[in-house]
Order: sequence, then C-alpha cells, then structure tokens
Amino acid sequence: MNCEEYWNESAGPEPEEDFDAHLAACPACAARYAASGSVAPDLRLLAAAMKHISAPPGVEAQLLRAYREQYGRRARPARDARWWWAAAAALLLAASALFTGARAPHPPQVAANSPVAGIEEEENAFTALPNAAGSAQDEDVDLVRVELPRSAITALGIPASDEGEAESVEAEVLVGPDGMARAVRFLN
Amino acid sequence: MKPPESDHQLFERLRAGQEPAFLALYHKRQPALYRFALQMSGSTSIAEDITQDVFLALLRDECGFDPDRGSLIAYLFGIARKLLLRQYERRRSEMPVDTGGEETGLAEPVDASDPLTDLAARERIAALRRAVASLPRRYREVVVLCDLEEVDYADAAEALGCPIGTVRSRLHRARLMLADKLRDERHGGDAVPAWKAAGCAI
Repeated sequence: MNCEEYWNESAGPEPEEDFDAHLAACPACAARYAASGSVAPDLRLLAAAMKHISAPPGVEAQLLRAYREQYGRRARPARDARWWWAAAAALLLAASALFTGARAPHPPQVAANSPVAGIEEEENAFTALPNAAGSAQDEDVDLVRVELPRSAITALGIPASDEGEAESVEAEVLVGPDGMARAVRFLN
Repeated sequence: MKPPESDHQLFERLRAGQEPAFLALYHKRQPALYRFALQMSGSTSIAEDITQDVFLALLRDECGFDPDRGSLIAYLFGIARKLLLRQYERRRSEMPVDTGGEETGLAEPVDASDPLTDLAARERIAALRRAVASLPRRYREVVVLCDLEEVDYADAAEALGCPIGTVRSRLHRARLMLADKLRDERHGGDAVPAWKAAGCAI
C-alpha cells in the first residue's frame, strides 16, 4: 500500500494490517495520521454534548400508531394462547365424557340466547354441549379442529355404530372465551 | 441480572407483534439515528421524518433485513442514509451546513463547574460543529457515524455500502480536514490542507 492508497478512497477491502503496516513504514503518513488524531478529544466532547439529543415524543407516538395498525390485528398473542388452552380444554371435555361413560340419551338443551342455539337443525351441524347453556348470544367463540376417539360420538349422545370405536375421528369444537367447549361437530 | 436483549432478538419479537419489543428497540436505537439524520441534514424536521421512516421501513413485511448479512444497526443507518440521499437529490444541492444551535439543541454546556473551562469548551465544540457541518457529505457521514455515534468500522462500511478500508481512509482524511479547519479558524490563516500533500514517496 502506498501513500495515495492510504489516504485516498480504497478500491477494495484492504485488511486493517495493510494500513497499519503502511503507517509503520512511512514517517510522513504517520505524522499526518497523528495530526488527524489531534481532533479526537474535541470530537469526544462534541459527542458527549450531543448525547441528550433524541427524536421528540411525537415521532414515537406516530410510530406506535403505525405499529398497532400493522401488528395489532395480526398477532394477538394473548388470543393465541387462549386458543391453545381452549383446544386442550375441548379435548379434556371429550375425554372426560368418554371415561365416565356418560351417554346422554339426547343432546342437551341449549339456551335460546346461546351462540350455538339453532345450529343443531342443520345436517352435520354442531351439537351443543352442557357448557353452552347460559352462554351469551354475542359470545366470542373460537373454532378448534381436534381428533377424538370414535367412541366420543356415542359418549356425547350422538347416534353412531359401535364399529371401530378405537379409531380417531376429526371434529370441530366451538370454544368459548373461558376455554370451555360449547359445541362439537364430527367431520367424518 | 437478565442480560439486555440483542437487536436481533428485539427485531424477532417485534415482528411477532410484541409491542414492548418494538418500543425497546426504538428507545435503544432512535437517538443515534436521529442525531445522524440531524447532523447530515441540519434540520430537525428532516431528522424527525428520517427517524420515523427508518422504523416504518422496519415494520414492512418485506423490510429486507437479513441478520445473516449484517447487523440491525448497520441496516438502520443504511436506510437512514438512503433516505437522506433522496432528500439531497430532491434539493439538488447539499443540505445547509450552518445549523443554529438553538434549533438543533447542540449548544449545551459541557462542564458547568468552571465558567472559563465551560466557555472554552463551548467555543471549541461550536467550532468543531461548524467544521463537521462544512465537511463534504461523504466525509461528514463517516465522522458522524464512527466518531460521534461510535459505530464500528464494519457496521459503518455496511451502512455506507463501501469497503472497510474506504471507511478508514475517509475517516482519516475527514479528521485531517477538521484539524485544518480548526487551525485555520484559530489562526485565521490559509494553511495548505495537510491531507492534500502526499509528502512521501512510498
């Protein structure tokens, strides 16, 4: 590396060692380098004097608004967590129905103002669960898809053949904000 | 005590919708970005716009930040620089170089314990600030990044889109220019700029 390469803009990514080697070999450039360092204390003073400067609060407020617009609807971490708890609760509900051998002769009655009221009439409709009773009409429910043993169909009082009770069936469960299952629909 | 989260960890969390991570990253990196934009533009309103736009760019789905290719701080300064260049192009000339201390908040006392020291330091800082502001843009940006905001050479090189050697060369030349300008101001002379004369034969 020569003097011109040292002081003028480099064409390539020279390693630091090349610069140091040139300074060690060239007294003139070493003197100039020392002169360039004379401003270092004042630059430190200037940097310290500027440390308190930052963007005004209005910038943060506008960015926060933009952030909430973009991510507020998308992520909803608290709701995501509730979703998983809800899925677990739905499985527990179905499992408890199986193991206690509770075989309701008819699907339970659903309150008129329940969000799942009226859905039983449709073909392959949701079957209301006891938790649906008393739930609010405008209740915010999540739809959770789960796999259940085939025997859960009869355990919930839905007519089905006894063949292949150990097989799994897919089901959709409506889960309320308290994490309790409100209704279930078997898909196959 | 829990170690502070890295920029990358904060970035990952803010992209997952965690607002506290966004605020933490903003508070951590905003002051240096704002000061960089302020030093380069000489305008508080432009510095505010640049700071805001840098973080808005970070929120975009396709923000282009790749942690495997470089640090987040280099990415943020790189965005700020590109936005400043757009401002320059819009104005078709360099930004105003002599910015008022009242506007930018740069005329703060350094040492309030000794009035004479304070006065001398104030004068030196004011002179240096004028000298920095009068540097050509390519030299000013390396001084602001590396000397005033203490960004390392590798990150500065990435932000400026040039090799590390170029950052180092520019920085040394910029410091020589500053030393010349300060000497001229002190002595009122027209000294030959030291960085122009090679003076050796290697």
